[in-house]
Amino acid sequence: MPAYHSVFLDEPNQQIIGNFALLPLRTKTRGPAQQLQQLTDTTELDIEPSHTAYDPLDEILSLFRANTFFRNFEIKGPADRVLIYGILFVSEALSKIRPGMSRRDAEKNVMNVALDNNFAIPGDAAFPLNQAFEPPRDRNEAEVLRQYIMQMRQELAARLLNRVYADGSGQPSKWWLSFQKRKFMGKQL
Amino acid sequence: MAPQTPAVVMDNGTGYTKLGFAGNDSPSFVFPTAIATKGPAAGAGGSGSGRPAVGQKPSFLTGGAGPGGHLSAKRGTEDLDFFIGDEALGAAAGPGYGLHYPIRHGQIENWDQMERFWSNSIFKYLRVEPEDHYFLLTEPPLNPPENRENTAEIMFESFNCAGLYIAVQAVLALAASWTSSKVQDRSLTGTVIDSGEGVTHVIPVAEGYVIGSSIKSIPIAGRDITYFVQSLLRDRGEPDSSLKTAERIKEEFCYVCPDIVKEFARFDREADDRFKHYEVQQPGGRSVTVDVGYERFLAPEIFFNPEIYSSDFLTPLPTIVDTVIQTSPIDVRRGLYKNIVLSGGSTLYKDFGRRLQRDIRHLVDARIKASEARAGNQAKSGGLDVQVITHRRQRHGPWFGGSLLGQTPEFRSYCHTKAEYDEIGPSIVRRFALLGGPGST
Repeated sequence: MPAYHSVFLDEPNQQIIGNFALLPLRTKTRGPAQQLQQLTDTTELDIEPSHTAYDPLDEILSLFRANTFFRNFEIKGPADRVLIYGILFVSEALSKIRPGMSRRDAEKNVMNVALDNNFAIPGDAAFPLNQAFEPPRDRNEAEVLRQYIMQMRQELAARLLNRVYADGSGQPSKWWLSFQKRKFMGKQL
Repeated sequence: MAPQTPAVVMDNGTGYTKLGFAGNDSPSFVFPTAIATKGPAAGAGGSGSGRPAVGQKPSFLTGGAGPGGHLSAKRGTEDLDFFIGDEALGAAAGPGYGLHYPIRHGQIENWDQMERFWSNSIFKYLRVEPEDHYFLLTEPPLNPPENRENTAEIMFESFNCAGLYIAVQAVLALAASWTSSKVQDRSLTGTVIDSGEGVTHVIPVAEGYVIGSSIKSIPIAGRDITYFVQSLLRDRGEPDSSLKTAERIKEEFCYVCPDIVKEFARFDREADDRFKHYEVQQPGGRSVTVDVGYERFLAPEIFFNPEIYSSDFLTPLPTIVDTVIQTSPIDVRRGLYKNIVLSGGSTLYKDFGRRLQRDIRHLVDARIKASEARAGNQAKSGGLDVQVITHRRQRHGPWFGGSLLGQTPEFRSYCHTKAEYDEIGPSIVRRFALLGGPGST
């Protein structure tokens, strides 16, 4: 059984830039992503994939721990690229949290990364996975893609912090921090 | 000679030796297959480099037999200065003794040491007179006949034992599974998955005979699981991440889960229930607490997803088992799928058998479906029964199988006796009648 794939691979009517899918997100940050409704009947910690508001970011966080053990990953479609990018970003965000750091400090560090406008998107020379990701066709598309990824980054960072600080002790979970050194597909952002 | 003495069952493995009497429930002794002799340890090399003190005697004392000759010709008092098993580990920790492992990869590599190991096993541990007992020894699959002859020479000429039978470990493991309620017909056809400390073998057996050409081995076994647990402990910066701690955690806490993503989610939900603590007593008298987490289900997962641990071996165990059966003769495949038997310490994880059965069944069903589709859905397959047998004797499977077969009334008629050996010579042990085969039990 190889690494886990995205459940959104078969999602109809995907908006695609390059070969990266712009799937609907459940977020309040502004951007090009189609908005899903906020959760009312369940929490983001135990949402099921069958829920209508389940978004790729939920999936990224639930697959992150399992998939980081794998070095090989066969990309089966645009939704898998969202998954890859998300997992690599979670790795990066996680590496900014130190053991024993308070939630406030961790939030500052992680949000710094998430809000930094200077990140590489597919097609940029600094992007690590250019063999697998196609560049956007023009400047317009590139700008939309950048904004979408920006939305992903911010929302992911917020949800990651919720998970790492889930136990209410004010300390980051050592179980999450133990994944800091693992590299999904041997890559990092 | 008392006719009713129980047979002695000796299962000498690479890691551990299991000693006992036929008819018993469990071996009387289980200890490392290690011998400590005077002189330096046998480095990393095999038989040649680490010859014991004996080998340094001038050649005229060895009776011209050369260094490979039998110990009986050159036995001096210093040869009696050795320890085996746990005592050997203890002696080697002190000065003056070197530790040797006479069996490597399941096969005997150093006959001098093995002879001494056996003599201590018989006289010091079991405390029996070999003249009064029949012996049942085990061998790995594909053991060369010359090794059997050497074994017979030692058993008959040095120890003068009454009778000898040498059985293949995998066949005995099949016999051990007869104790499971899932086994209805006591056949000797099945696939044995034998996973010990060093290596995992998948061995197809048809009617008591090993199908040598289809055997596959996997470089993932108990030791790798220990290393993997250790690396996870280190990632987390636990206060104690010694191999010993990792091994204890592996043995006490690990289990096989159906799906790792779901299992991660379960750890999030039932944190108090799933995360465990393990208390380690450190040498200085201090004790530290190590948290036990995801390694509980991730460690045995390397059988099913080797990729998470190793970068050069990637084939999951269920796929290997399927390949082994598919490369076996077509008329035994059904029997091989129906009777997949586990054996050895690394198969003891909870739900190991269940997961293996599920994964193999998926592979088989997918293939049947594909071939039905190729046939234009005109012919329907009746399906194929995949069954993995988990039983209570897995840990010492081969030994227990030996104990089971060694207590049958016919056992002695299958052995070669000392008289037959004297008549024909060592070549007699090249062939044994099949013990426990059709019509014998």
